[in-house]
Amino acid sequence: MSDSVKILRRNRPGSKAKDFCRWPDQPFEEMDNTLAVQQLIQQTIRKDPSNLVAILKMPEAQEEGVWKYEHLRQFCMELNGLTVMLQGECKPEICTQMTATEQWIFLCAAHKTPKECPAIDYTRHTLDGAACLLNSNKYFPSRVSVRDSSVGKLGSVCRRVYRIFSHAYFHHRSIFDAFEKETHLCKRFTYFVTKYSIISKEILILPNLDDEVPINQPVGESEA
Amino acid sequence: MKIPTAMDDSSVSHHNGGQVGSELGVNVNNKQNEESSQSVQYSIPGILHFIQHEWARFELERSQWEVDRAEFEARIAFLQGERKGQENLKNDLVRRIKMLEYALKQERAKFHKLKYGVELQQGDMCPPPEEQSEIGYTDTILDIRSNRVRTLLGVNSDDQAEDPNYRNCEKQHYSTNTALNRKMMMYDEAAYREQRRKGASSGYNEEGLSVQDTAAVFANFEFLANQEMDMDEIEDIEAKQSHHSSIKGEEVDHEAEEVINELNMLTETEADGGGQGDEYVDEKPLALGELAQLTVSNEPEAYDVAGASKESFRKTWNPKYTLRSHFDVVRAVAFHPTEPALVTASEDHTLKLWNLQRTVPAKKSAGLDVEPLYTFRAHTAPVICLAMGAPRTEECFSAGVDGTIRVWNLPSLTADPYDPYDASVQGPVLREHSDAVWSLAAAAGRVLSSSADGTSVLRVSCPSPASRVRCHPSLPVLVTAHEDHHIRFWDAVSGRCAHTMVAHLDAVTGLALDPNGIFLLSGSHDCSVRLWNLDTKTCVQEITAHRKKFDEGILDVAFHPMRPYIASAGADGLAKNLCQNRPSLCFTKKKNILDVLSTFVLFFMYKINH
Repeated sequence: MSDSVKILRRNRPGSKAKDFCRWPDQPFEEMDNTLAVQQLIQQTIRKDPSNLVAILKMPEAQEEGVWKYEHLRQFCMELNGLTVMLQGECKPEICTQMTATEQWIFLCAAHKTPKECPAIDYTRHTLDGAACLLNSNKYFPSRVSVRDSSVGKLGSVCRRVYRIFSHAYFHHRSIFDAFEKETHLCKRFTYFVTKYSIISKEILILPNLDDEVPINQPVGESEA
Repeated sequence: MKIPTAMDDSSVSHHNGGQVGSELGVNVNNKQNEESSQSVQYSIPGILHFIQHEWARFELERSQWEVDRAEFEARIAFLQGERKGQENLKNDLVRRIKMLEYALKQERAKFHKLKYGVELQQGDMCPPPEEQSEIGYTDTILDIRSNRVRTLLGVNSDDQAEDPNYRNCEKQHYSTNTALNRKMMMYDEAAYREQRRKGASSGYNEEGLSVQDTAAVFANFEFLANQEMDMDEIEDIEAKQSHHSSIKGEEVDHEAEEVINELNMLTETEADGGGQGDEYVDEKPLALGELAQLTVSNEPEAYDVAGASKESFRKTWNPKYTLRSHFDVVRAVAFHPTEPALVTASEDHTLKLWNLQRTVPAKKSAGLDVEPLYTFRAHTAPVICLAMGAPRTEECFSAGVDGTIRVWNLPSLTADPYDPYDASVQGPVLREHSDAVWSLAAAAGRVLSSSADGTSVLRVSCPSPASRVRCHPSLPVLVTAHEDHHIRFWDAVSGRCAHTMVAHLDAVTGLALDPNGIFLLSGSHDCSVRLWNLDTKTCVQEITAHRKKFDEGILDVAFHPMRPYIASAGADGLAKNLCQNRPSLCFTKKKNILDVLSTFVLFFMYKINH
């Protein structure tokens, strides 16, 4: 890229959809604002959503808490796409409970007393609750540093978010596959939680998602 | 069965009127009779009921009597005022005669001067002593002459012409004068009350004015002409007064207890010559406070507007809420047409509804900030623009990179964020565009969109493409925001550029006009929100509340159509906490509430015209 002309990374009004956020990559070192981590993550995903290693390759000297936090934000954000697709199919009359395998019924933690919400409600409430928590001034007041105590909160969010994937996988397989083909989100998520040991392996009930995902040994090992 | 008959008895006796004792006796007799016939005749409740009735009647009579007394007292006050007025009039007439004599002497002196040039000195010499004696006799005349006589001279001539008239209708004048005098008293003693009354019923404005006038008249001796003019008004007023008092009497009959409580005030009122006692407030300071407001409200509207704009000038906007819940850049913000609520659209593919009056009680993580009421999920790509439907339709339109325009039925503003999924919130989907939709405007159930696919894009010929177009709510003025840091003003009739100004340090992205068309709000990638006075085109306030993500700062700004809110949507969070950088909104509140005018309708119309 020619650096002689100053590049403005900006979505100008009237941009085409394909041009949205399509600007030359900015090296992480040059990102001088406080959203650098999010920018980096989104930039890498945009380049190739299937390249999990690149996406989850943490820059050196980056605080791990913020790295995990920003990734989880990104997951919750992208899960909206899956929710939109589920809304069309996952009706409260059919999926009256949040289940994956027959082993567990998950209760919705968004209410004062955990409630047996239908799956679609569970999904929405979980994402809303996660949005609330991850944007909370109390636990995550900053996006350049995250307290250790707050990092602990990420685990429970991850566990609940994983149930959305598993429900979709076991009950709405076609949606899950279509979504996964486009975003590789579940693969990325599994890789993420395994790499940073956020969720214990026993909970990861989904089978190894596909064969062609190659390169990441951690995933392969954990799910083998 | 029995008690009702007892009640009938008492009511019958009540209707009979007359002496109470005998009635009681009669009643007792009745009771005894009935008792003799049926032993279980009189229950305690029945007796109590009778006593209550009697008591109520006595109270009624008493209140009637009190009212009579008040009326008499008022009458006394009236007569006293009349007498005082007559005395005043007499004094004034004496003074007036002296004044006329003096004028006559001056005339004679002048005449003397002109006619007999020789005796001029003598004539000159003669009058002064007289004059001086005259002046000494009426001190006030001197003052008034020095101050006002010159202006009064015209009136004086009229006065002289009217003099015979004056004498003829002396009697009328007397009554008038007494009224005037009474007003004088009122003005001295209870000017505030008078003015209150003026404010309380607009019909009394004239009276209040005439009171002030008469005060001035009395001070200046120019009462004659004004009296003539005031006569009718005063008579009207007196008619009103009597009317009022009669009405009041009826009211009193109906509401005896209240009247008893208000008797003191009532007498005052009567003495003042009318008004409605019911509406008076005991506390004088309070009344004065209200008086001030009332007088202000009586000012002409033009002044009000000026005052309001001045006031709002001084008032600044302060951050009120930060709305955090989006994971990514907030692209657009739109207020609910009436309620203190708004919808935000974000690059995280969702829209969120916020109720500013309902700060969700701190759930474990909510803190003090507002929690979104509802999350609209349907878009599969970043949402860029938003438009609110017409008031009462509760409709909202959104569109974005995925090229769809979605119609939403806003859920109730009291809904719980964790209610079950309601599919009816999501309305129809309009798939007219093949590419990203960048702008929406809605009016009367219709929506106008402009998309990157090249359809229905508004073009204004100017050096830099406009990123926002807004219409003035009442004037044919268009305001456009440009990437070259400018804001341009256009004459919508001629299409010519009326004004250009460099408004920001970076591309201007958001524009909003307040519903009165006095202020302009602009947002820019330089992360500042600026408030402009449309008249002077000067910046009134600058708010820096957002941080950058990549090279984007603020992406939209909005005025609430009815309530004192403005909002800005940005790539990022608060300026207060430097380390806080999350897609969020900053909120400000202004004190004076503005009217509703539809910006969108005009915008819509403009687009059609071109």
